[in-house]
Parts: sequence; structure tokens; C-alpha cells
Amino acid sequence: MDIAAERIERLHSLARAAAADGADDRARYYVRLARRVAERNRLTLPRAFRQFTCDRCDTYLRPGKNARVRVRDGHVVITCDCGAHARYPYEG
Amino acid sequence: MALTPETLPRHELNGLPVRVVESDDASRVGLAGRVVIETTKTLSIEVRRDGESRVVMVPKSGSTFEFAITDDAADDRRGTLDGFPDEIREPEKGSGTASKLANTEPAGDTEDRSSSAADRAGGDAADCRDDVPSRDRRRAAGEDVAYVTVDGSRLLSRPARRTETSGDSPWQ
Repeated sequence: MDIAAERIERLHSLARAAAADGADDRARYYVRLARRVAERNRLTLPRAFRQFTCDRCDTYLRPGKNARVRVRDGHVVITCDCGAHARYPYEG
Repeated sequence: MALTPETLPRHELNGLPVRVVESDDASRVGLAGRVVIETTKTLSIEVRRDGESRVVMVPKSGSTFEFAITDDAADDRRGTLDGFPDEIREPEKGSGTASKLANTEPAGDTEDRSSSAADRAGGDAADCRDDVPSRDRRRAAGEDVAYVTVDGSRLLSRPARRTETSGDSPWQ
């Protein structure tokens, strides 16, 4: 694993910790930095990172705190407090 | 490539315990805490004292930083390893890495260094390598902690771009 991938992992855990502490702006900074590193190094972000960050406002999402998770027919909808929806399909 | 003294200038600094060992501003010398925000020219260090924390912004240029590399550098449990506990700071003789450094330094790192040299205003690769001054690794309290002293001017670059090596891009 190269340095960029490790940085992304570190930033992911930092963002999660910052969000848990209530430091939302700092969590957003870590998320944006991780996205930028992934973009510059042409890496795919980990799935957990993609699903628990807001595409619109870069917030680190914590279900129950700043995100709503609702199960719909064939998909899960995660709604950020900023109003953005993300839908993820599921089988079965 | 894990976080090692060699890769630290290209690695993520956020979350690392750091101490300011030299600075143009004498009042900043001795600040110890964790890096929470990095910008092109500054590091913001969260200093915790008596339960209260404050964030101090320190310019990279004109300062020398000592980073502590531990296994749980990016730990979620912030504050457990707060700055530099005193027992870890006890100087035991060490520096067993001298031979290892001699091996790793000239081999793969030349190219990496030159990229960060390009980021700095007017420096060449050779300078840069000598620039990483003292790295000492001490073993104390049953925990392996490596202290890396880096001149702040080596870190002058955009946070997202420090990782990159020159000539690596598939588009060129």
C-alpha cells in the first residue's frame, strides 16, 4: 500500500474521530483532504468512506446524529442534514 | 510504505504528536500537541493542558518540528497518547538505526526527495537529503517511538501534494 492510500485511511479515521467529538468543520476538512489526495493519486476511496460522507457538503455522516438512514423498496436512502440524498441498492 | 522517518515528509501529518523544538518566535519553542490542521505554510497544533485544549497555528518556515511516530499514530482515541508523556521522553541511548538509514537513504528515496525539493523555493535534491537532520529512535517504556526532527521548510507544500513523486504520472 502506498503512502497516498495510507493517508486516506488515516484521514478517514481522523474524520470519524472529529465527527464523534462534534468538530464537524474539522471532520469536513479531513474529508476534503482525503478526497483531494485520492483524486490526485487516482485512487478509489474506500466504500465506507464514500457511503458515510456527504457528496454535497463533505460532512462525515453519523447516522442518528447528522444523517437519516431509511430503508425503501430495494434501496437504502441516506439523507444528510444538508438535504442531500444518497441511495444504495440492496439485493433480496 | 508505512510511516517511517524516511517517508514522514511525504506522509500525513494530521494527527501526529508534534513538538516545536526551534522557532523564530521563542514563545513557540516547546509547544507540544497534535497536528490538527495543515495548510501550505502552517501547522495548527492542538495543545492540551489541564483538560483544556487550544489550537496554535505555527508557521512551517522558521520552525523545526519533532514528530513522534508510534504504532497508533492515527489512533481514534485522541488524548490517550497526549503529546509527549514524560516517561517516553526519558533519553535512553539508542540511535540503532544508523546502519538502516544508510541502506535506505540513497536507494529509493532520491527521486522522492527531488519532488519535494521542487516544491520548495530553490532547493536541490542533495541539499534536501542532508536537510532531514537528526533522526533518533529511542526505545522506552516498552513502546517503540521514533522521533523525527524535520525542518519546517521541508514541509512547505500543499497538504494534498506532498505525497506525490515527480515523473510518476501516467499522463506524462
